[in-house]
Amino acid sequence: MAEHVSRRRLLGIGAGLGAVAAGGLALSAAWARRPAQTGDQLVSEVPLPQPFSVPLPIPSVLAPVASTADGDRYEMVQMETEAEIIPGRSTRLWTYNGTFPGPTIESRRGRHVTVAHRNELPVPTVVHLHGGRTPASSDGYPTDLVLPEGWTESASHGHGGHGMTDGLAVVTNVQREYGFPLDQRATMLWYHDHRMDFTAPAIWRGLAGLHFVRDDIEDALDLPRGDHELPLMIADRAFDADGQLAYPSLDPSLTGEIGVEEPFTAGVLGDVILVNGAPWPLHEVDTGLYRLRILNASNARHYELEAVTEEGRRLPLVQIGADQGLLSAPVRHERLPIAPAERYDLLLDFGDVPVGTKVRLANRLGSGRTADVMAFHVVREGTSMPIPESLADDLPEWDRSEAAVVRDIAFRAGRMNGRHGWLIDGLPFDPNRTDVTARLGDIEVWRLIADVHHPVHLHLVGFRVLARGNGEPLPHDAGLKDTIALRPGESAEIITRFDGYRGRYLFHCHNAEHEDMGMMANLEIV
Amino acid sequence: MERLSTLDEAPPGTRTAVSGWVLRAAATLFLIGGFAQPTFAGVYLSGDFDGLAAHVLGADLLSSISIAQVGAAVAVWIRVRRAWPFWASLALMLGGVAQYFAGMEGALWLHLPLGVALIAGITVTFAALWMRPLPRRVKEARTDG
Repeated sequence: MAEHVSRRRLLGIGAGLGAVAAGGLALSAAWARRPAQTGDQLVSEVPLPQPFSVPLPIPSVLAPVASTADGDRYEMVQMETEAEIIPGRSTRLWTYNGTFPGPTIESRRGRHVTVAHRNELPVPTVVHLHGGRTPASSDGYPTDLVLPEGWTESASHGHGGHGMTDGLAVVTNVQREYGFPLDQRATMLWYHDHRMDFTAPAIWRGLAGLHFVRDDIEDALDLPRGDHELPLMIADRAFDADGQLAYPSLDPSLTGEIGVEEPFTAGVLGDVILVNGAPWPLHEVDTGLYRLRILNASNARHYELEAVTEEGRRLPLVQIGADQGLLSAPVRHERLPIAPAERYDLLLDFGDVPVGTKVRLANRLGSGRTADVMAFHVVREGTSMPIPESLADDLPEWDRSEAAVVRDIAFRAGRMNGRHGWLIDGLPFDPNRTDVTARLGDIEVWRLIADVHHPVHLHLVGFRVLARGNGEPLPHDAGLKDTIALRPGESAEIITRFDGYRGRYLFHCHNAEHEDMGMMANLEIV
Repeated sequence: MERLSTLDEAPPGTRTAVSGWVLRAAATLFLIGGFAQPTFAGVYLSGDFDGLAAHVLGADLLSSISIAQVGAAVAVWIRVRRAWPFWASLALMLGGVAQYFAGMEGALWLHLPLGVALIAGITVTFAALWMRPLPRRVKEARTDG
């Protein structure tokens, strides 16, 4: 009898525990985002256009104002402008030369490019060439401000901002020349605003453009050219009831309080997907082979791209290049994840797609409208082209045994100025503190560890991915990269050689909201 | 509790069988390893890369222990005629498999709450196995039938 009762009680306790455990798991399954997503989505207040109804714009290529034996000189004006992004609405943008994306610069490996920027915006700016192997003086350090006309010192140190002074900052009035030796592999770089504390809203308002580097190794390959090579800058945005860009800045003048409203601390996601500044555009193609130069210029949104025909067939995405140029051999993907600031060089073959049908570039990480990116309308026969099986032979190879230093670096949430922020090794960004000192020419292994999604970017150098967690790199980690996407709880080992130039550089999370809210650190090359 | 203690004090043949001791040993190792796992995870997420290797090693060891515990629980079922340790151990083993794959896949929405649930299950099983003797009871069991 005694045993009977105790067993029943035991079963009762067991059932209770089981129910609590199952309830907890069910709650987690229902509430947690699967797949995980770092950031919160704004909801647009204007009617959104039908997908695949707007033609894909191609950013115009900027002509140099002077070309000499020493290089090319370009001029750009940073200005406010109005543009029609949502059909029938006029949206105020901050732009390079009046367009979003800004004009594209085409350059050659080793040929010096000078870009003179004039700031006609209401706030200071800084231009950084992402992925550029650039001397520190032109790398766009976040405090190397270009002040607008009539800007007073008192206004620049707003009440709620960092109020940090940086004795090393080189501040100029209205204009600044940036010099780029471009002594680097052929690839697609991008330039964008990098002002301390306000990078995210500045990019959101339109301060981003593409910059190509070409070289003989690339030219020697038989790759699609001309109108068969498409730059695709993917970026999400949201629009308010007036058709203006919505963004939850604490200080919309972008001069005082830094950061965004609390719910968006993890990142700002838009519900409109723009490609080259157009919402869910459509591009007419033939049945030939296309080269897609893709950049994720979103502040926080990750995508997982796939190309799907109308019959639901997936076309392979053949990766031929990474952030820092061509791979040694192509890698075929069914789906390709792309984090903020990452670039992929892809070949897409429309060879067996029937003329008159569409191929959708979809985002597997999106839901509803954000599950679409753009579409290709196959409208005529083209000529087929083989995909080269061997690509570049100039990829640097570094071995773990050559590393002078191995560093563990943690990217995680924390407190900053009494609010939620984002920290690297427990500290928010401070221009006056050197976080990592590396010797010029040294090979180093960095082990990066993340709590949530953190796309980690190193200035100056490209790196190879040695490992993800305790395992092998993923297929899309191939080649030379400058940004690596860490997923929640994930870590990665990267290896690089710090060569090029001495000086003060940065590494940071390229979730632009995280970057503004502390997740940036100094890298001093000595 | 009183009833449980009456049961425990049943005079003859109350010495825990060898299979029972093996099961208790497995459950004890499971408990130690189980509590070490979140520690390793915390070390890892605080920025020490080696914490991940320890977390993976811990997961491998716990997988082996959980299988050993199921084996010992089978022996206890036969020798001691007690079935619940088997079902509890089996549930923990299967939960552990799910936990392993959730961890490898980075499915933190599952990995975190399941980890907490497993620790609770491991703790309760450990306590239940040590609270009462597990005596060999082959013949009595036959006549019971």
